[in-house]
Amino acid sequence: MLTKKGKYGLKALVHLARLPVGQLAFVNDIATGNNIPKKFLDAILGELRNAGFVQSRKGKDGGYRLARPADEIKVGHVVRVLDGPLAPIPCASRTQYQRCEDCNEATCQVRHLMLEVRQAIAEVLDQRSLAEMRDIAGDADLSAALKIQA
Amino acid sequence: MRMTGRATPSSIIIVGGGASGVVLAAHLLKSPNPDLRVSLIEKRPHFGQGMAYSTLLSAHVLNVSAAGMSAYADDPGNFSRWLLERGLATPEQAPVYASRSVYARYLKELLDEIEAREQQTGRLRLIREESLSISPTASGVEVALANGTSVVAHLAVLATGHDEEPGAGQGHAIRMGSEADTALDPEARVLVLGTGLSMVDAFLSLEQRGHRGEIVAVSRRGLLPSPHRKGNPIKLDVADIPLGTQLSYFVGWFRDLIRENQKAGIDWRDVVDGLRPFNQKIWQNWPSSAKRRFVEHTKAWWDIHRHRMAPEVYARVAEAVQAGRIRLVAGRVVDIAAGDGFSVQVQSRHTQQLERFGVVRIYDCTGIARDISTTSNSVVRSLVGRGLARPDPLRLGLDVTANCEVIASDGTVSAKILAVGPLTRGTFFEIDAIPDIRVQCARLSKRLLG
Repeated sequence: MLTKKGKYGLKALVHLARLPVGQLAFVNDIATGNNIPKKFLDAILGELRNAGFVQSRKGKDGGYRLARPADEIKVGHVVRVLDGPLAPIPCASRTQYQRCEDCNEATCQVRHLMLEVRQAIAEVLDQRSLAEMRDIAGDADLSAALKIQA
Repeated sequence: MRMTGRATPSSIIIVGGGASGVVLAAHLLKSPNPDLRVSLIEKRPHFGQGMAYSTLLSAHVLNVSAAGMSAYADDPGNFSRWLLERGLATPEQAPVYASRSVYARYLKELLDEIEAREQQTGRLRLIREESLSISPTASGVEVALANGTSVVAHLAVLATGHDEEPGAGQGHAIRMGSEADTALDPEARVLVLGTGLSMVDAFLSLEQRGHRGEIVAVSRRGLLPSPHRKGNPIKLDVADIPLGTQLSYFVGWFRDLIRENQKAGIDWRDVVDGLRPFNQKIWQNWPSSAKRRFVEHTKAWWDIHRHRMAPEVYARVAEAVQAGRIRLVAGRVVDIAAGDGFSVQVQSRHTQQLERFGVVRIYDCTGIARDISTTSNSVVRSLVGRGLARPDPLRLGLDVTANCEVIASDGTVSAKILAVGPLTRGTFFEIDAIPDIRVQCARLSKRLLG
């Protein structure tokens, strides 16, 4: 599941993707503009910087900007860094596997199906770039975009 | 012949009849299309023997076990069955590291079989001649041959494999087994540039010839590849693997993954091998800065863990290192003076200390990756020279799309000139060995012929 952290991180990156290339944004502006608690956002941006998606500059004129063009960063790249392996439920992950107390993972049909679902999640999220996500205007456009994909 | 815009191309020239060329031809000819015409062009007298598989030395075994060496992506047991049928392996003997000359025979018989099968259909044409150049024409391509004739088709696929000549700047170094590799004083010292799998091959050849002198092997880090061990690769999904991050982030994740698995008693090899199905995807999603850093700093470490040797071979090498017959040096050659033999000066990576000593021969075993613009292959050189192809940004091979299409110097994607195998290293990264090449050939065949 996409956590709040993942969602906030994506919103912050879309915010940065809207700016002219190279322009820095204040953390405060990103936070207020997207309804993200500032302290949380600081932590999120720090992780995104470690993974190489954003760059920061310190000081009075400091702030954040994308480290790479928005069409090179895929949504799936970002979600894995913030939320860990893509997985609809905790037992459907190979590296961050969390055993369910109440079932046998070898025979659990739910887990088997969810392993398939995560492949589908990866396929969608790894195809879509930040630039594409930024350019989704609303529901009308979304249905058009889905049609093109299909 | 149909030549409409989106029609299936029915005539295909494969330039290069080594291992990757034969594997591609085998995949293409699985198509039932009766109009298909495949021309396989090879300058050597034998097909299926590229750089790697032309050795006759039985100690030169494959670096991949038999299960990984089937020519067909969808039939991994093909080579193992072939070995069993000929009594070259036994069922209880696993994993099998067959000798490379046996593998060359496998590819030859595979092609013979296809040739016999296609005799009636006329779908396969084997041409023993050197290709000089490829030129696009209005309806396809024309490949000029050294005998003055040419072959035309709808499209051409470059499968020229590894370079045959030593890399530029290697000065006096020669390739093991080349014409310049004449008889040596068995007691004399030799220098080998490189400490990887090519160096191991050179050592085995020298041993075979009864060489007893010291073998000094120099590379930047002086690292020896690891031995294989029987195991089970861990299971990973693409959803587990961080893609598109900076290199340091990925390396941190991978180290943690190995550590966690080792805590559970799992060998690091099983983690490295578990990642293999995703290596191309990981490479393709990295930003160019991460790719560059990887090639410069991490690849040497990656290679010794990822590209391993058969355990029996490792035992021989380790014994020779122990006994002082092989001396591994981390450093670089700073000077070579030719005279009676060569006087070489080597600088240690760690102490910066200089050491001068004499050798009678210098072997180039710096490996198979090198700048494509210095290639000795005339077809590739002429394509680059005319702007019909360009090196990839890291100059590991030709710039190609994920669909194997060659990209011209102005960025135009060619629908008529394609490439497979080591030439496509810049895009596919790990594409030097059969397990990866056969998958690439299967995908390309499917895309071209459906």
